[in-house]
Amino acid sequence: MEYELPTEFDIIIIGTGVIESIISAAASRIGKRVLHIDSNNYYGGLWASFNLDAIHKLSANTEVLDPPTDLINPDETTFALGNDFFSLKNFKTDWHIPKAETQPENENVEEKNETESEEKPEKPITQDSLIKDGRKFNIDLAPKLQFARGEFVELLISSNIARYSEYRSVSRVLTWLNGQLETVPCSRSDVFANNKVTVIEKRMLMKLFMALDSGDQEYLNYDNKTFRAFLTDKKLTPSLIHYVLYAISMSTDETLCLQGIQNTKRFLDSLGRFGKTPFLFSMYGSGEITQAFCRLSAVFGGIYALSQPLSSLIFDNENNFKGLICGKQRISAEFLVMGAEKAPPEFIKSPPRSFIARAVFITDRSIMSSEKEHLTLLLYPPEGGKNSCVIIELGTLTGTCPKDLYLVHLISQQVASPEDDFKHCVENLFSKFEDDKKPKILWSCFFSIPDSNALDLKTGVPGNVVLCPGPDLDLDYDDAVKKAKAIFSDLYPDTEFLPRAPDPEDIIIEGDTEDRNDEDEVVLKPEENTDKVAESETEAKSDNDQEVPKSENEHEE
Amino acid sequence: MGSRVNMRPTSKNTLLKVVILGDGGVGKSCLMNRFVSNQFDEHSFHTIGVEFLNKDIEIDGETYTLQIWDTAGQERFKTLRTPFYRGSDICMLTYAIDDKHSFRNLQMWKNEFLYYADVKENVQFPFIVIGNKSDVEANEREVSQVEMETWCNENAISACIETSAKNASNVQEAFATAVQHWLRLENRADKNECLYTDTVDLTKKQSENRTSCCINASDE
Repeated sequence: MEYELPTEFDIIIIGTGVIESIISAAASRIGKRVLHIDSNNYYGGLWASFNLDAIHKLSANTEVLDPPTDLINPDETTFALGNDFFSLKNFKTDWHIPKAETQPENENVEEKNETESEEKPEKPITQDSLIKDGRKFNIDLAPKLQFARGEFVELLISSNIARYSEYRSVSRVLTWLNGQLETVPCSRSDVFANNKVTVIEKRMLMKLFMALDSGDQEYLNYDNKTFRAFLTDKKLTPSLIHYVLYAISMSTDETLCLQGIQNTKRFLDSLGRFGKTPFLFSMYGSGEITQAFCRLSAVFGGIYALSQPLSSLIFDNENNFKGLICGKQRISAEFLVMGAEKAPPEFIKSPPRSFIARAVFITDRSIMSSEKEHLTLLLYPPEGGKNSCVIIELGTLTGTCPKDLYLVHLISQQVASPEDDFKHCVENLFSKFEDDKKPKILWSCFFSIPDSNALDLKTGVPGNVVLCPGPDLDLDYDDAVKKAKAIFSDLYPDTEFLPRAPDPEDIIIEGDTEDRNDEDEVVLKPEENTDKVAESETEAKSDNDQEVPKSENEHEE
Repeated sequence: MGSRVNMRPTSKNTLLKVVILGDGGVGKSCLMNRFVSNQFDEHSFHTIGVEFLNKDIEIDGETYTLQIWDTAGQERFKTLRTPFYRGSDICMLTYAIDDKHSFRNLQMWKNEFLYYADVKENVQFPFIVIGNKSDVEANEREVSQVEMETWCNENAISACIETSAKNASNVQEAFATAVQHWLRLENRADKNECLYTDTVDLTKKQSENRTSCCINASDE
């Protein structure tokens, strides 16, 4: 049975990126009839995660479909969907290991038996062995970390979307200092445990953190000066300045003092909530995030359709959006929201000028080996005319790569090309030779994501149409949340943005159980439960905004 | 007379995640509603705001809490992905006996499940095949019991049952069979599961004693 989509909605959302998905969930949540539709056969758009097989199949496929003309009235105009401004650029993957084990004539069916017989000695990693485990990879296009007390985490908790996903704490923050990797002291115990920081430096650092926390206003005198100038005047040593400037505040030499202070406070504020560092990573990859919002939207009535033959948009003679043509159907709605990459080229007044440089590597060991597996954030400072780089190293405990391997993401503002921009990081951190302590790159992938965040996505766009920007350079989603919230309140002023969804445990079903068959093997819920029900009902009403204790073990280390 | 079913699991029973898959209109939501609250509404599709429903079931003196996930209409345009399937313990492949096409699609649903559910390789997964709408007139039947059994044999699925959510026939039995089937396979499987420990669940209460930045924020 082929299903037909309903043809009347309050809002149509094209594309399943983070901002679109948050808006979709928020609209469904207040009872709007939402159609959330994508031409891709996966969720997430430019924010998606792919397994090793799927990422190789990624290619720009902006095929333009001709709409059936009988669905369009004479006084209406159509615009074909999709543009090439915002698709991935410079996409390139390479293997750096042999295809198969270098043994003669085992390329056929025989292979299985042979590999089994020599299982014991350590098997070399080959392209074939990685491809065989390819589904265990979740490779993010736009990897993100969340501040434990950031806006995004607060939204997940307040809306109860947190129950759809699991997180893992970043277990160490590193930086590149004087030609080697160093652990950035984050918490008090880190500061004291760090043997690279002298006792005097420890005092200095604690003093600075305390001053910031007690609301010291000294930085107000640094109105037009840099954060570096502020730290220098505080008489911090060069290595402390490095830690605070490049790692803790994620600043550059040019960052203004006020911004640097805010960044530092944000970092410190998020400490001590979930783990040793301020950061959380979404298990199974950042692509899970969009799916969590989409699932909430579906649970609240949103209609989902992927792999759809979307062809064009219909506008009346006053340039109001009237409908979408999908296959042979015309679907109408009051509003249209879409990812910038889905928009007709006519709507894009200024093409992107800046790009996010990206690299992804599969490696055979961690950049800084240790006994337990770490989830690492490396903040690589600007060096020799290159921008600073964010490097995230994920092990198998994140659910994004198989055992004994690491997935390394590199992110930076593009200067020349991804390969060129990361050249120095690659040379310093990785090795091309077998018996080196540095990790070896087994597979690499480079690409550029056009940054649509600084662009004007409003001029020339019809009034009931909204374009959503794609991934940004931020480490986290907080800015994406702000943007989604702003779009939502433009569309639906004075409505609540993602109120808390009820826990399934709190839902009470009214039902008829008179004709219960007592001879059933199955024991139905005993009657004495009715008391409890009433109790939990009032409980649910009274402490609506409390977290429901799901287990005795309330504090997660 | 109405009764109420509270969705909060009563105790620390074994919790099993159950997904009911199959084409739209075969009666997945009806089966779930019949099982959980013993009601039937032909037009009850997905209940707005319901992610899954919990229901206790007793097998051999042990109580299990079944957490039955609703597809929320997402099966219609094949938009269910890993987050929905991940962690499933039992998969009910459902068709309607008066709809041959829904029976033919079982293969597709089984493949879809195995692809997205992150099931460990070489592990036999507890599928159960359900032929719903056994209440229809004999002349409307399009799939015979023999056809169902043959398909199950071919696919190495050992549990199948015909049910009617409408007249409540075999619904409890279907879920009980599913759990028994799960138990059989579970006993055989080795239990070194739980690959991912110490993940952060944001829904759990955290130490909210907000500290004066890092000074006291040692990692207790």
